[in-house]
Amino acid sequence: MGMKGKAIEIVGFTKKFGDFTAVDNLSLDIYENEIFGLLGPNGSGKTTTLLTIATVYKPTSGDIYVFGHSASREDYEVRKLVGIAFQEPKAMWIDKPIDLLNWHARVVGYSGDEAKRVVREVMELLGLWEHRNKYFYQLSGGTRKKVELAKVLIQKPRVAILDEPTAQVDVLSKHALWDVIKKLRDEGTTILIATNDMFEAERVCERIAIIYKGRLRALGTIEELKDSIPRGDVIEIQFDGLLPESLRSELEAYGRFELRSNALTIYVEKGEEKVIDIVDLLKGGGVRVKKIMVKEPSLDDVFTYLTGAKLREE
Amino acid sequence: MGSLRTLLVIALWDLMKLKNQKVFIAMRFAWFTIQILVFARAVSYIVSQVVLQYTGGVEYYYFYILGVYTTLLYSTSIARGYMIADEFDDGIVEYHLSLPIRRNLLAVGRVLGSSISTIIFTIPMMLVVYYVLGVCNVVIVLVSLLSAFVFSMGIVSFVILIVFSMKSTDLTDIVVGAIDSLLVRLSTVFYPLPVIAATGIASYYVAAVLNPISHASDFLRILVFPEYHLIAPYGPVALILYITGFSMGLLILAIEYYEKRLEAGGWR
Repeated sequence: MGMKGKAIEIVGFTKKFGDFTAVDNLSLDIYENEIFGLLGPNGSGKTTTLLTIATVYKPTSGDIYVFGHSASREDYEVRKLVGIAFQEPKAMWIDKPIDLLNWHARVVGYSGDEAKRVVREVMELLGLWEHRNKYFYQLSGGTRKKVELAKVLIQKPRVAILDEPTAQVDVLSKHALWDVIKKLRDEGTTILIATNDMFEAERVCERIAIIYKGRLRALGTIEELKDSIPRGDVIEIQFDGLLPESLRSELEAYGRFELRSNALTIYVEKGEEKVIDIVDLLKGGGVRVKKIMVKEPSLDDVFTYLTGAKLREE
Repeated sequence: MGSLRTLLVIALWDLMKLKNQKVFIAMRFAWFTIQILVFARAVSYIVSQVVLQYTGGVEYYYFYILGVYTTLLYSTSIARGYMIADEFDDGIVEYHLSLPIRRNLLAVGRVLGSSISTIIFTIPMMLVVYYVLGVCNVVIVLVSLLSAFVFSMGIVSFVILIVFSMKSTDLTDIVVGAIDSLLVRLSTVFYPLPVIAATGIASYYVAAVLNPISHASDFLRILVFPEYHLIAPYGPVALILYITGFSMGLLILAIEYYEKRLEAGGWR
């Protein structure tokens, strides 16, 4: 990232809840003005990390620095720099978006009239104005998520933390929100996104950390992560019945493979050339092949390769 | 943002909720007015001939309605504090903890907001009581409001401490329920201290004398009926000092908890 300074520095951060270790000795740097993604399945420690950066949790050991301020010793200084859109929208059923956002604007420092102006601007930008006087329980999941994002847009913090910002949001709105997030970065905010949506990560994030079971598994740009799979292509084969044991050692000769019920994923070089040999091998072993796909590795493949798990439950 | 402005903005959080509870407030007001104007007269009629000697010459009806007001003030303070427990379930504490506010101001702001809401909620009931009592002295009304506010701050701080310590709405239900029922009963809100003494149960008497709810109700009685001090355990200055000490002590503990120990998680 060249000359850019560090916006967030996570140093040996561990967070335990009783005997359960949610995050285990995590260390990474996030640079000024980048959109950084924390990618991992539910329960991987993403939200715990985000909430600790926002000083909502305290580290069990290690520390997190935001523009040089320690989250454990200078929590107020850190909070002045950070704004967060939570994974679960934070409101009670009787709350109305307009009241919540006006209050939020006042808390983050706007005066009365200024608060009303900026709240209206942001609500109109996100398509929330027509919902302003509805009770929270009357809003769809996607609209509630937009209210969370609105808080960050009103605050315009130096570091914006977005926890699954487009979960439950419809596809059209997702693209609009991604543009809003990029614009926020262009205006000088460093953005940290937690997601388990690989498409969102590929579309929005410049660098990504893959976290699984509380530990950092990989860190880099999307291209660097894809290159971390030692062989260039991914062959996905769906088949009927069981894969005979005898075929496994022969498949290994082509490259590392993952087997999930009736689906085979093989990481190979020159996939187009090898796929014919592999299909012949399967047919020869009595396997009825239903579907074949050769593709470049996605982040999902990178994640599966590194952890042996899938990003989302299928 | 200046500290005073921050405090007022935080307090607005609770006041914002109040405006969505108009029906609830109207129902509580109606219930209270009926209690004061109908049932309190019935109770008073039954006992008034017997207990004048125990109330320092104050009619039991007057003694009773100031007690009812104090219990209402107490239970409303508990309810306002308890709303913070409800907020835990909705994760709102995480949102508040993430805001660019010093934790000590956040604590004081929440207590202030809940107490101001309590006072706004209970002002109509206080005015009904003072109308029935024929009190039209503005100083008495203002001092009553101030003492009610200070008392409410203590109760709200107390509930916040319990909620944060338990980090579970179920446990909070049990603990607050138990303390709630004990505190009201072991006080002088309905039974004058000489009557409690006459039961011969020393622990009951000691609990009533130490109970902050007794002090709150007795302070209001002395304010309206100076002759009541003849049977009150302490004079008005000692009573208000006790209430203030109780509330400030709990507020300081709540601030300490917010600043040093509070973090999200653990109450789901």
